[in-house]
Amino acid sequence: MNADLSPELQKELLDDFYAEGEEHLKRIREALVLLEDSIGKAQADSAIVEELFRNFHSFKGISAIVGLRAAEELAHASEDYLRELTKGRTTVSSAGLDLLMGAAQKLEQIIVAFRAQAPTPNIAGLLASFKTLTGSAPEAPAPARESLPTAVTAGPEAQADEATARGLVIWRCTFIPTRELDARGVNVNSVRARLSAVGEILRATPQVLGAGQIAFEFLVGMRETPANIAKWDADGISAELVESAASEAPAAAPTAAIEHEPDANPFIAPSHVVRVDLNRLDELMRITGELVIHRSRFDDQLAQASRSSAGLDPRSLQEVNTAWARSLRELREAIMRVRLVPVAEIFARMPFVVRDLARETKKQVRLRLEGQQTELDKYLVERLKDPLLHLVRNAFSHGVESPEERRAAHKPEEAAIFLRASAVGDSVLIQVGDNGRGIDPQAVARKAAAQGIPVPDNLDHSALLKILCATGFSTRDDADMAAGRGVGMAVVWDTVRELGGSISLETELGRGTQFTLRLPLTLAIAETFIVSAAGQTCAIPQTYVTEILHLASDQIRTVNRVELAPYRSGLLPVTRLTSLFHLPASARAQHCLLVLHSDRGSSGLIVDKVHGQKEVVVRAIRDPLGQTPGIMGATELGDGRPVLILDGAHLTSGVVRPDLAPVSDTPSFTVDHGN
Amino acid sequence: MATEMNKYIIFEVGNATYGVSTEQVRHVEMVDHVTVVPNANPAIDGVVFSRGQVIPALNLRTRFGFPRQPYDMRTRLVFVQLRHRVVGLIVDSAREFLAISDDMIRPIEQTLTGISGNYLKAVAEVKDRVILLLELEAVLDVDQLEPAPGDLPPAASEALTEAKA
Repeated sequence: MNADLSPELQKELLDDFYAEGEEHLKRIREALVLLEDSIGKAQADSAIVEELFRNFHSFKGISAIVGLRAAEELAHASEDYLRELTKGRTTVSSAGLDLLMGAAQKLEQIIVAFRAQAPTPNIAGLLASFKTLTGSAPEAPAPARESLPTAVTAGPEAQADEATARGLVIWRCTFIPTRELDARGVNVNSVRARLSAVGEILRATPQVLGAGQIAFEFLVGMRETPANIAKWDADGISAELVESAASEAPAAAPTAAIEHEPDANPFIAPSHVVRVDLNRLDELMRITGELVIHRSRFDDQLAQASRSSAGLDPRSLQEVNTAWARSLRELREAIMRVRLVPVAEIFARMPFVVRDLARETKKQVRLRLEGQQTELDKYLVERLKDPLLHLVRNAFSHGVESPEERRAAHKPEEAAIFLRASAVGDSVLIQVGDNGRGIDPQAVARKAAAQGIPVPDNLDHSALLKILCATGFSTRDDADMAAGRGVGMAVVWDTVRELGGSISLETELGRGTQFTLRLPLTLAIAETFIVSAAGQTCAIPQTYVTEILHLASDQIRTVNRVELAPYRSGLLPVTRLTSLFHLPASARAQHCLLVLHSDRGSSGLIVDKVHGQKEVVVRAIRDPLGQTPGIMGATELGDGRPVLILDGAHLTSGVVRPDLAPVSDTPSFTVDHGN
Repeated sequence: MATEMNKYIIFEVGNATYGVSTEQVRHVEMVDHVTVVPNANPAIDGVVFSRGQVIPALNLRTRFGFPRQPYDMRTRLVFVQLRHRVVGLIVDSAREFLAISDDMIRPIEQTLTGISGNYLKAVAEVKDRVILLLELEAVLDVDQLEPAPGDLPPAASEALTEAKA
């Protein structure tokens, strides 16, 4: 084994630690949310307590390996409390839950500080509280070491104590490997063998010394001082006597200590889980996207060839093509599934947020989480963290009233904030709401006018939302800690739009407010119909199209500027693709009518021609300069030209209306500039 | 005297010459096809594909208040990068790189910034030429695009060019 740890490897190992730590914290947070139901019960839900115990325990282990003493101690104290719970010696109290939540939060802060090489946050307060709670916590929890196989069965502190009791003398031997030593056959394994020969290895800790140097520190219990110990120096081993192993804290690593020995795997449990960098999945997704484009090009070629060439057997080729298309679809779906993660990742953070906010005010809030298992693309989940955090903070700060105010309004003093996720077809809905005071449109209008933000006459919910999301809009005169910096809602809006989603708002004075975020389940690929009118080609996702009918021009009627087409026994409001693009309406007598349906409503889209079905790669329009309502992205059909993808949800929501005045092609301002 | 030399992409819009630091330019392309986006800002001609991304194409003629003219063989798309944003600028032509040293660059006079919609960063004088260095931040600012381009004085930059001639 080459002991020279390259900076890349070092970074990789540390990255592993961060990823692993984040994973444990995530599980801890999720389990803590569930533990709330156990408060006051005689027996806590043992599955949850065990899950917590396991994760705190693993966290302790990996923290010890990188020398994060504070994290190790705190995880240890949490573990102690959980052990009391499993043994039924105590029940879950809300103080206990608070402490565990505090510990989880502090652990995260410690990692963040460690990562930023900032001073480690103080844990003394939390440790003291744990001690009060458990009563019998050890003075200073000795570090847990899982790097030694023997340490799995008995705690290392116990071992060292026990070793001393058996009359062993504890030595600390530090081995710094070099290439020269390695060439002579002296490496960590030979040193380990040598030490085992003269005594009992109680603990082994690898440490990174900086500049890629690594040192291994062994605590060895020996019956007598080896005769040749003075000569060990020449082999890169320095040995010194230790007073008592139990009081010996692991030396703080100068930069970070990293697990290095292959036989000292800290992750005891075998795992069938592979962590994958999201970028690699993006790469896979991109390649699959290209495959889809290639295949659709092949499809076209095949269709052409089978029309023109007589010698070709189109049937067998068609069979291959069909099989290919099926495999591609499966591949796509498999990759998509890999990327899906439950929204619980975000939701589980919210109790912490609300708890922190509640501590600073007198407000009483109960947070309800629903549909945590709803899955969403990992990238979307990452991007949604901040917007959802903001919405929850807003609900708390702006929505929820003080207990007095609630009492006066004949409402229970405890308010509710809810987060709800659900899958609807190819979309995921995430709702953030509260049963607080609601939004007063007039108050918002006054504020907006004062801040120079245009206010429309008709203040419906969508107009209200637009104001709330305007850059610079703030409902408060003084920004408070939680919300009110006047950038938040604008960021929420931008992020959701960028992800190809939309937001809507419902609010009722005195009753509450609810924001609904509609997001695509995944970003990448959609089945669409390719349609055109007056030379303009577009794609529309099939999920919104329920029917395609022929329609004669004279069947279209206009009532109050809205065009209607007969559909089944009633009338369907329709939009012409041409009017969407401000093109002159086609003079043709026959049109195609696509009947669109979403949970927002139904409408029709009138086009000249439907060219067929196509799987397309959806590319979001990320820059705000290119974004407009009604367009969810663009794709290409093989010629490198962008084809816009229409947003069916938008078309069915009744927002798109034909313009009264056609937009002229000439610029509104011209100037004669003499040369 | 030690002066810093920086490279710029030089392009023409209207009758004025503009420059953007090569560090902010991703690449330059001929204009092939721009897909019109309905209801976009008037200065946005549409979107194009570039390296798998959908990029808005901003017509600098419209942005600066010059009359629009059809694309021709000289029309270019200059893809500029501003932090995480990439936008294609449609310009009349873009044909050269120029190394400009810092001592050739002067700040814009206050009176001019007032009327030129603050999209100019500085002026460089190279031999007999006046090159207006763009402040991309302002050029690409969505909020500044919102009002009709009528309030942007079109000839400000030209007036400057002429004043120098």
